[in-house]
Amino acid sequence: MTAKTRGPWSRLYAGFGISGPVTLLLLAAALGVPWLPGEFWTHVGTEVLIFGLFAMSFNLLYGYMGQISFGHAAFFGVGAYATAMLFTALKGADGQIGIAEFLLSLLAGPPVAALVALVVGFFCVRLTGIYFAILTLAFGELLFYIVFSWYTFTKGDDGIQGLLPPPFFQDSTNFYFFTLAIVAVAAAVMWRITESPFGYALRTLRDNQRRAGFLGTNVRVHMLVNFVLAGTFAGIAGALWGPFSRSVNPGLLGWGESGIAVFMTLIGGAGSFIGPLLGSVIYTMLQAVVKMYTVYWPLTIGTIILLIVLFAPGGILGMIDKRIQATRARKDAAGADAAAAAPAKEQRP
Amino acid sequence: MSQNILEVTGLEKHFGGVHVTCDIHFAMQEGEQSAIIGPNGAGKSTFMNLLTGYHRPDAGKVVFAGREITGMPPHKVVRRGISRAFQVSSIFGRMTVSENVRAAVQAQMRATFRLFASARTLGAGETERMLALCGLEGKRDLVAGELAQGDKKRLELAIALAGKPRLLLLDEPTAGMSIDEARSTMELVDRLNQELKLTVLFTEHDMGIVFNHARKLTLLHRGEIILQGTPEEVRANETAQKVYLGEHRT
Repeated sequence: MTAKTRGPWSRLYAGFGISGPVTLLLLAAALGVPWLPGEFWTHVGTEVLIFGLFAMSFNLLYGYMGQISFGHAAFFGVGAYATAMLFTALKGADGQIGIAEFLLSLLAGPPVAALVALVVGFFCVRLTGIYFAILTLAFGELLFYIVFSWYTFTKGDDGIQGLLPPPFFQDSTNFYFFTLAIVAVAAAVMWRITESPFGYALRTLRDNQRRAGFLGTNVRVHMLVNFVLAGTFAGIAGALWGPFSRSVNPGLLGWGESGIAVFMTLIGGAGSFIGPLLGSVIYTMLQAVVKMYTVYWPLTIGTIILLIVLFAPGGILGMIDKRIQATRARKDAAGADAAAAAPAKEQRP
Repeated sequence: MSQNILEVTGLEKHFGGVHVTCDIHFAMQEGEQSAIIGPNGAGKSTFMNLLTGYHRPDAGKVVFAGREITGMPPHKVVRRGISRAFQVSSIFGRMTVSENVRAAVQAQMRATFRLFASARTLGAGETERMLALCGLEGKRDLVAGELAQGDKKRLELAIALAGKPRLLLLDEPTAGMSIDEARSTMELVDRLNQELKLTVLFTEHDMGIVFNHARKLTLLHRGEIILQGTPEEVRANETAQKVYLGEHRT
């Protein structure tokens, strides 16, 4: 019997699935981004991280709980607006904001997003499947129109401008590492949740909601808790968006923005934890490049989504994971054959 | 006289104009092992759905272990101590066998709101025990949706047992199994009943299994109980012969 010598990649795969090695690669790449020439890729990298977090929060609903939301951007947008409004209130007459005030305004986003998710989720978790999807879409649009038309409170379609972070964070590299740290911590917390008994209860809801109830799981309450968690993490991403782009606008709550999370998740793969982040890497970087050359970005991304859905329904990581497992199964089978043949050899005189 | 663990009185259920459960009175004593038999559409599964809260009865009362459970949602009924295994195996298809059982164990432990505990270790011992009990140790890492039919049914049973029930409802526990698998499954059910004093109620179409493993039979026909008794009494009964057993004469 040959002891299987397993390399670090293999052990990483055993412990974390496909997400293990991919996370390590992405982290290594992420640390290298600021050393690329010019500020362009650092900007793109920050966007990748913010939208990656947003897409991962969406995947708590889709990949783990089995419900698709077309209104998830509402929580991203509400988080962005909460931060932007407190930011505006706290900044001085000269347009400058102190570090403490800046961090405080960032902290405003997630709890407000969570609160709105609690109210929206209270209604949405009564439904599943297409009805859940439509209701999230309806709530998303409702919130969009509130923000869009309530001039006195949100400045309506003008949006809120002038969200210039403190001098230290105006440096794109510093803001990038700040974002990386927050997204990494948020992702680690999300990973922990998905690997907890709660995370597995969500998977039972995804696979067979009726049976989950017969295990003693209170289906609606679990769905609601997860809805609020997903909204909170979307709110963290939203909070980062305002100071990054120096402004917020009602479009951040709209269905187009919700669609981005769906696209990223489909591209990267909903079946793995890190899939949506990889989706964000591909989507955001591709968008940055394609928009330099052509105005036909929607056509490009539409074609890509079409190909993914048709030929790699598990997304890129789903496709790679399938290959890995097939190779391993073949190796195991070969190993078993060799093991079966070995004793026969020994018995020979 | 020992206490009735389950008492059903005057249970009624209509679906539209169809009367699927008509004035059912039914009782089980702790430790009993009984079967419900009857032709397709007799209302056996509906009866189980009414007991476990999946359907709300239109009238009548279900009392379990001295407390009324009529109209409670399934997750509350389970917590009172009634588990069920389904006729068409109803498992978590994208999770592995051990993840299926572990999720059921953790639900029983009421640990599913522990957001930061490790799912891999919590209830691991109990999970192993259930896998061993149902002969699934060798298949723990297989994806449940890809199992053979007989293994799915055994997993179904393991999930039900993980709920630590006092009353176990089995809807055709051996459907789709080979003769050997069916025999070992029913031996397990007998063992659970005799050693752990689990009260078992099952439905089954295979009369060989029914007569060998149930000590009391209830014959349902068009939503009504038309006969209750020991296997010998039911076998000897003329009405039973006419409405049901006749179909199964070899």
